Amino acid sequence: MLATVVRLTRDLDAAQDAVQEAFASAVTAWRERGVPDNPGGWLTATARRKAVSARRHADAIESRLPLLVVDEPGATGVFPDDRLRLLFTCCHPALDLPARVALTLNVVCGLPTADIGRIFLVPPATMAARVTRAKRKIQAAGIPYRVPGPADLGERLPAVLTTIYLFFVQGHTPPRGTELTAADVTARAIDLARLLADLLPDEAEARGLLALLLLTQARQPARVDATGAPVLLADQDRSRWDAALSGEGLSLVRPAPRGPYAIQAAIAAVHALAPRAADTDWSAIVRLYDDLLAVHPSPVAALARTMAFAEVAGPSAGLAEVDLLAADSRLAGYHVLPAARADLLRRLGRTAEAADEYDRAAELAGNAAERAYLRTRAADLR
Amino acid sequence: MKYMLMLFEPETDWESRPEELQASLAEHDTFSAWLKERGIAEVGGEALRGPSMATTLRKVGDEMVVTDGPYAELKESLGGYYIIDAKDLDEAIEAAKRCPTGTATEIRPIWDVSDLT
Repeated sequence: MLATVVRLTRDLDAAQDAVQEAFASAVTAWRERGVPDNPGGWLTATARRKAVSARRHADAIESRLPLLVVDEPGATGVFPDDRLRLLFTCCHPALDLPARVALTLNVVCGLPTADIGRIFLVPPATMAARVTRAKRKIQAAGIPYRVPGPADLGERLPAVLTTIYLFFVQGHTPPRGTELTAADVTARAIDLARLLADLLPDEAEARGLLALLLLTQARQPARVDATGAPVLLADQDRSRWDAALSGEGLSLVRPAPRGPYAIQAAIAAVHALAPRAADTDWSAIVRLYDDLLAVHPSPVAALARTMAFAEVAGPSAGLAEVDLLAADSRLAGYHVLPAARADLLRRLGRTAEAADEYDRAAELAGNAAERAYLRTRAADLR
Repeated sequence: MKYMLMLFEPETDWESRPEELQASLAEHDTFSAWLKERGIAEVGGEALRGPSMATTLRKVGDEMVVTDGPYAELKESLGGYYIIDAKDLDEAIEAAKRCPTGTATEIRPIWDVSDLT
């Protein structure tokens, strides 16, 4: 609804106000006259009317404020295309990543800024200021309201994918705080990924991202035990994985993936296809990580590759590879590195060293549930 | 909507390098021709003398004190600019990508304050 009204107002704030007013009118109108046959249509029509009258009023005062650019004005009705335009506007590379995420949640998902602040543990006033600044920049700098053409899509799509992915990760493992997951956040991230994949059916990376999120989310019921402690992939009760999400995710995975999201989805698919942890095709996973590192050389992916490699070549060979990565300053402070060393040391019977590494990992972990888990692992070895 | 493209470059003694200067000017001519062909109006644009030629006036109390040198000592400084009239930021970015520059190009939307008066 918001996307449709923005087409008309070309101003995000004005559109949001109009939609809010439409909901307020609905409360009175529907109580008096009953709920209309098409409540969505009624709300959209009312919001459009409110926006037009607000626009006329505003026109009288500030007639030529710079507006969001619209390519084909005059179209009416709800097009899913409108949400895609909004998404590309909110994820423009001229906005920094935190601003893109906040703006997308506020404008495309309709979350109030206070709620967004809660998700990212930022004070409400700070988050409101971040969103306001981003909206002002869209207007003042002339960031267009449009889906990029085929020539630019390849360049612009990664910013949108990163935004959705980061948003999902935020819900999947909040970096601080006590709750391990925030179900609403992950569900909305999946909605956005689905929207993108549906509207850009030729983009393998859009499909790859959706597949990755679905396959990751499918494991959610088994990721945390009854006490709220995290459960490692190897120890998860796979019968609790969500078969519907998993099936949908698998149906989107294609052979020989090339982009980073499609490759990560293929890795998740290898896990999803193993009935037991022991059945995992680790050689296939190592090969996929090699492909991933070729297109997206990140130290975090390199660490994940060494852990898969340890499953193929044994903990001793794995430890040697992890120690090579430990020299990478970008991994300093990343709690998964000592946790990985701890796991390999434990499997090599070097329990005292393993316990120390679990403690180091616990000191670095930001999430309280993860920290408690790592402390328990350390204590178990003593 | 109008944008200023600010070209940041290390200070170069162009006059002792006539061939490089000619090559650089030719690149800018090519850029101007591209703008025209692309239908983006070139409203203005100039090359600036280097920061060692700069004079800065600093406010000290009620006085403006004249000093030798640029406002801020940077490894790279504003070496020149264009003002273009583009459809939106994407078009300005497209132009900035083609625009010859030393280290970086900053795009600033021009604020049309005539609307406010």
